Amino acid sequence: MRSLVAYRMLVHDRAPTAGAVLGVVAILFLVGQQLSTLFGLFTYMSVLVDHSDADVWICGKFTDNANSTGQLPVRYVDRLSGLADIAWAEPVITTAGETRRKDGKAEGVVVIGLPAPRLTGGPWAFERGSVDTLLDYDGVTVDSRDLELFGDPELGDVLEVNKKRVRVNAVTKRITSFGGTLVFTNRTKAREISNLPPDRCSYILVKLKRGADVDAAVAKMRAVLPRAEVFPKDVLSRLTRAYYLINTGIGFSFGFTTLMSSLVGIVIITLTMYTSILNREKDFAVLRALGGRKKDIFVIVLCQAVIIGAVGIFLGFLLLALFLNGTRDSNLASFVPLWFPFVHAAFTLALCLLGSLFAIRHATRVEPATAFR
Amino acid sequence: MAKSILTLKGISRDFYDAKVRQRVLKNIDLEFYAGELAIVAGPSGSGKTTLLSIMGLILKPSEGRIYIKGEDVSDLAEDREATLRRRNFGFVFQTPTEIPALTILENILVANAVQGTRVPPALRDKAQSLLASFGLSEYAHVKPKVLSTGEKQRVAIARALINDPVLLLCDEPTSALDAENSALVLDTLKGVSRDDDRGVVLVTHDPRVYPYGDRVITLEHGAVVHDWRREVAA
Ligand SMILES: Nc1ncnc2c1ncn2[C@@H]1O[C@H](COP(=O)(O)OP(=O)(O)OP(=O)(O)O)[C@@H](O)[C@H]1O
Ligand SMILES: [Mg+2]
Repeated sequence: MRSLVAYRMLVHDRAPTAGAVLGVVAILFLVGQQLSTLFGLFTYMSVLVDHSDADVWICGKFTDNANSTGQLPVRYVDRLSGLADIAWAEPVITTAGETRRKDGKAEGVVVIGLPAPRLTGGPWAFERGSVDTLLDYDGVTVDSRDLELFGDPELGDVLEVNKKRVRVNAVTKRITSFGGTLVFTNRTKAREISNLPPDRCSYILVKLKRGADVDAAVAKMRAVLPRAEVFPKDVLSRLTRAYYLINTGIGFSFGFTTLMSSLVGIVIITLTMYTSILNREKDFAVLRALGGRKKDIFVIVLCQAVIIGAVGIFLGFLLLALFLNGTRDSNLASFVPLWFPFVHAAFTLALCLLGSLFAIRHATRVEPATAFR
Repeated sequence: MAKSILTLKGISRDFYDAKVRQRVLKNIDLEFYAGELAIVAGPSGSGKTTLLSIMGLILKPSEGRIYIKGEDVSDLAEDREATLRRRNFGFVFQTPTEIPALTILENILVANAVQGTRVPPALRDKAQSLLASFGLSEYAHVKPKVLSTGEKQRVAIARALINDPVLLLCDEPTSALDAENSALVLDTLKGVSRDDDRGVVLVTHDPRVYPYGDRVITLEHGAVVHDWRREVAA
């Protein structure tokens, strides 16, 4: 019957209950929104690495993130071809470029030049056109989210990048990078746009043979290419995220807002639950006098915290789902990994219980003798 | 000879008011019996409520021992005390103390199920019939705020009876009531005390209540100054 008493008390004191639920919703929604944006930005940061069909990335010496890889001699590919575990190795070119709209507005872009004919490391989702259209000498892709930057081109329209002619052959679907506006093309065109010497490339993508041991292969590659950095794909992805997290202050900023949202939520929960218990001291004294033990009072208030937590978490997720759904097509980064809702629910419930500590402490300390006063 | 229910031996209680010790109860020896309505009378501040709280294991005495049916219950752990309270005592307080969030029926049931036990259908029936015996059946599923103070006090008596207590401890249960409701509540308590396994202790400072008592114990300055018992025809 203790849970019934808990529930009845919550329903009876609607205002403080609603206040405490609001605290839980605040934590769930604000922290959830912050973190889904951060996870979204994470996917932007390492987008090229995560979607490349390669197992290993080889970059210039001292590279610490996938968006600035330095330069490598193309002939490194030959050194690799001697290694048994390698299925293929392809040099890729990236270069900064500038495009100019018809109205004259300039826009910085990142051009990725993919090796024909495999076009590996290239775009993976299309709204119009396909990856093969990049085999055309001047074919490029632009992203659906960036169309306006390019003056809303149609397929087949001609643009300029670094004063070189390119033709929009395909529109990619929501491929956004933290490093800049992505334009994919073939390597020949990219070399023309860049001023990279013909024997240089930006990074080399390596695919291992099926069943090959990544660590062993990486060790061998490091041995033959001492003046390059050799990263397994997942390592480079992590490094890239860590690089931005630390160097741009994003980590601090998101960490701080998350902490603040949690604190505000806990304070709301603590204050509302505590004042509500203060107003109900007499009820708890009577329950004690009637034969309730401290642990029974504890169970009642704990039940209240759990109910408040559960309702708040439900409403918070509802709100978060509505928000994420409403901003799906906007430029707001968001990504929710499968594990996140569970961990976040547990986190929020833990904070809710933390917020109820004062209320629990006070309620269990009410003296039964005060029922007679 | 009536059965002894509760025995107090050498009970004293001190309160500290700004570090000054105040002895509120002084060396009290009393015995309470089944089938009896005992009145504890005395002026305000004489220690009546304190005595009642100690009898109900709600407050610890500073000195002395308490026995329930001969068993020493003076030095029990808190949880054990709570369980004994639930099993042996029914409480009726000066002002109504129904929990406003619960219905009348739930208020009665909670006195049994406060330790987290399930409410069996038989208990529900018992609560209903208690309400019926006080003419309160129609209120079973409403919240206490709908009831008058007199009705609430009768609900409190029903709540106090749900566990078949051996002793009903009532602290000025009629002080908030008008004469008519007061008489109704006192008659009810008198009826409750007419049970070979149960006694009633009623604290009051209202002389109009005395006639209901089989026994009147008078406290003054924390000491028993008078203990009068009505002669029973053999
Ligand atoms: N918790 C407490 N702390 C300090 N003093 C207390 C406490 N409870 C009671 N007292 C003091 O003990 C004395 C007796 O109080 P008690 O409530 O038992 O008297 P009472 O006979 O019930 O009076 P009343 O008729 O006014 O209810 C009073 O002087 C009171 O101030
Ligand atoms: Mg009193």
